[in-house]
Amino acid sequence: MAVDIKNISYYYGDNPVLKNLSFSVREGDFFIIIGPNGSGKTTLMNAVSGILNCQEGRVKIFGRSLQSYNRKDLAKTIAFVPQMFPDDFPFSVTEMVLMGRSPHLGIFGLEKEEDIKLAKQAMHFTEVKHLAYRKLNQLSGGERQRVFIARAICQEPQVILLDEPTASLDLAHQVKTMDLMDRLKREKGITIIMVSHDLNLAAMYGDRLLLLNRGQAVSLGLPQEVLTLHRLEATYGCRLLVDESPLGKFPRITLVPQKHDKRLGVRDKG
Amino acid sequence: MHKIVIFLKVIVIFLMFILLTSLSVGARQVADQLGRKVILSDDPQRVVSLAPSITEIIFALGQEHRLKGATRFSDFPPEAISLPKVGSYVQLDLEKIVVLKPDLCIAIKDGNPRQTVVRLESLEFPVYVVDPRNLEAVMETILEIGDLLKATENAEDLVSNMRLRINRVRSAAEKISHRPDVFFQIGISPIVSVGTNTFIHELIVLAGGNNLTEGPIQYPRFSREQVLSLAPDVFIITSMARGEVFKRVKIEWSRWSEMPAIKNRRIFLVDSNLFDRPTPRLVDGLEVLGRLIHPEL
Amino acid sequence: MISDKPFLLKRLFAVSFLLILLLIVTILLGISIGSTGNEFKTIFQLLSGERAVDPMREAIIREIRFPRVILAALVGATLSLGGLVFQVLLRNPLAEPYILGISGGSAVGAIIGILMGLSRFPGVGFTAFAGSAATLLLIVLMSSGQSILKKDSLLLSGVMINAFCSAIIMFLVSMTQDARLHNIIFWLMGDLSMSDIRQVVILAATLLPCFLILFLLSHSMNLLLMGKEMAQTMGVNTRLVTMTLLVVTSFMVSATVSHCGLLGFVGLVIPHGLRLVLGPDHRVLVPSCVLGGGTYMILCDLLARVLPEHGEIPVGVITAMIGAPIFIFLLKRSRQ
Repeated sequence: MAVDIKNISYYYGDNPVLKNLSFSVREGDFFIIIGPNGSGKTTLMNAVSGILNCQEGRVKIFGRSLQSYNRKDLAKTIAFVPQMFPDDFPFSVTEMVLMGRSPHLGIFGLEKEEDIKLAKQAMHFTEVKHLAYRKLNQLSGGERQRVFIARAICQEPQVILLDEPTASLDLAHQVKTMDLMDRLKREKGITIIMVSHDLNLAAMYGDRLLLLNRGQAVSLGLPQEVLTLHRLEATYGCRLLVDESPLGKFPRITLVPQKHDKRLGVRDKG
Repeated sequence: MHKIVIFLKVIVIFLMFILLTSLSVGARQVADQLGRKVILSDDPQRVVSLAPSITEIIFALGQEHRLKGATRFSDFPPEAISLPKVGSYVQLDLEKIVVLKPDLCIAIKDGNPRQTVVRLESLEFPVYVVDPRNLEAVMETILEIGDLLKATENAEDLVSNMRLRINRVRSAAEKISHRPDVFFQIGISPIVSVGTNTFIHELIVLAGGNNLTEGPIQYPRFSREQVLSLAPDVFIITSMARGEVFKRVKIEWSRWSEMPAIKNRRIFLVDSNLFDRPTPRLVDGLEVLGRLIHPEL
Repeated sequence: MISDKPFLLKRLFAVSFLLILLLIVTILLGISIGSTGNEFKTIFQLLSGERAVDPMREAIIREIRFPRVILAALVGATLSLGGLVFQVLLRNPLAEPYILGISGGSAVGAIIGILMGLSRFPGVGFTAFAGSAATLLLIVLMSSGQSILKKDSLLLSGVMINAFCSAIIMFLVSMTQDARLHNIIFWLMGDLSMSDIRQVVILAATLLPCFLILFLLSHSMNLLLMGKEMAQTMGVNTRLVTMTLLVVTSFMVSATVSHCGLLGFVGLVIPHGLRLVLGPDHRVLVPSCVLGGGTYMILCDLLARVLPEHGEIPVGVITAMIGAPIFIFLLKRSRQ
């Protein structure tokens, strides 16, 4: 088990955001967490990455409790790709990617040859090498996302966490990012844990999905097991159409606008 | 045999004593006005004055030939202006003092930065600090500086002359029972006057006046209203500014014709140099005040 | 393309070497020039080991000019580095080393010491330091309701305390009429002339470890710019690093201010200026601020001593008058 979560609860003051949640992520999985806004997805990510400490329950990473890792070792195990990033970050792409080496650097924080080699490889893998000297805030959303991923790769982690990585990307970049994650999984055996709001992407790429609602697990399993019409309509509270994608044996979820609703009246075929 | 040995020992000790005293000829140890022990030359030839008042005193004692440097505003007597400058008395220039190789520096407690005095001493320059807080202390200071500069006779003459003139004014004023109310303005804006712990207060009292603003605050401030309600009989303004400023200030006060000092045209400007420096000229100031407060004498 | 060689290390060495050279030249310039004349010959003689040097001139250089120049270097280094660190900690480009109440607290402490008639060292130095320690404590207490790591609360508390202290200072100044007013004004404007070699050595001994600690934390400072949570996921102990930065920087700025009053503007212009020229990497900026800030301050002090015919211009005037145009020039160039 890469990540093993048992009975975690997180309270914001008196307000419970995660309630008695338990699940596990297998090594090498492409694990996607979905759910409506406010379901606790981001809080869950923060709990897994060690940013937040849950008041109840425990998180285990590769068999060791999260608390038992020192910060540097944890950084060498789990890498986090954020959704948002400060505008005033003044560094260039190369400098940013190199920062991913920080858990491996010595006391002065100075990089050696191997570090630079690894950074180059990561930038090559994520196809941002041509942007090496550009400032981070001059890039498009998709390019910046790939730079973050390159930096995460430099940490040489076994798990990469991503918080809604495709949220503000255009179609091409969405696919590019997801393909990149898929490659990381297949070629390097890295476990991917991602939060996504896009059900179709989750269906296409996820090995296993976790559907979260109001801090609790609604369903966990293969995409076709989790993404059923009744369950989705109940969770998201809107009319949906669920059928099988023409691209493969995984579901395709379509929104049903009001104007099309009465005319179709179609139900799930199984 | 035994007696000869003892005799020889006594001779040796005696000779050593003479030797030691002869070695320290030219140096003496004194205590300055702050009680600090200062070791300095018997006959200082390179004196640096660290305040304008001290420069004045040295000139008054006729010892200006010993003076090698003074602070920037040492402007009295006029001959002092040509002396090499060592900064201002609140911001002394250590380098300029050192380069003059002084064998005695005379400092003043109120004003000279303590730290600079400390550093001068650590560089092995003797510093004698004086604290002329009032008339009596000024005369003490003159005598002590006279003693330091081998001008004891001059100092005694100067001081006895000062005492004579002071007593003349004091006894004349004592004959009159009425003490006019005096308001002495030293600051234009804001209006600042003098409390008990100042030279000016001492002089007003000696000259037979009543300092309306006496009290524990050394330089108290007043609003125009407060001054008017004090109703001074004599209004004296001292300012380092030129005559135009005085004219303007006099005109401003003259609007208040109910003030006794204005009604009786007893508003005067005096030279501040006679009143704020701890020097023999304070007695000049006293005599000026005497004439202004009791013109009938 | 990017070479494989560790370019940062090279850059660090190159920049440091250049700045050290500049610093040494400036120190020599600083001790050669003074109010009693220029001593280039004497310096040359001293350096070449000649014995036949006028002992008085040597004393002036050794006892008066040298401590002052070294003090200027230490002050410039500390204030520049302090500004740099606070700009990172508070994520605010307007942050300068006095921003967390240090100027207000130490000024109030110093003025109280001066009014009590204490001597500069250790008396007033001690009261000034105590004042800034008190304000720092107050700020930490005030902003510990919310997380102290929340930068806005620190900043706001600091600004409030400084404003309050300014009021106290103005009150105390208005009540002082005698010669102590001069002492107070000189302290408030910043005064490098009061320290002797012993005090400077002690100050250096306290400041150099601080510089070293901050250099060791410079990589973490880079990471902190990503955001505190991100930095944590990359292995930085955010809480510890932030507290250390805060305490060490406040300590070194307070120690400096206790020695020489409030010298302004350096802590704002040097970090920004160096950042415009050398880039945002703190592993280069930290040593550069130390060396560059020191050099700058020595030069400003030199001008302050040399320009006027009598006395000195307050150094703070020079740092602002030179610093502002240089900074604006650099800013314009970087926009292009």
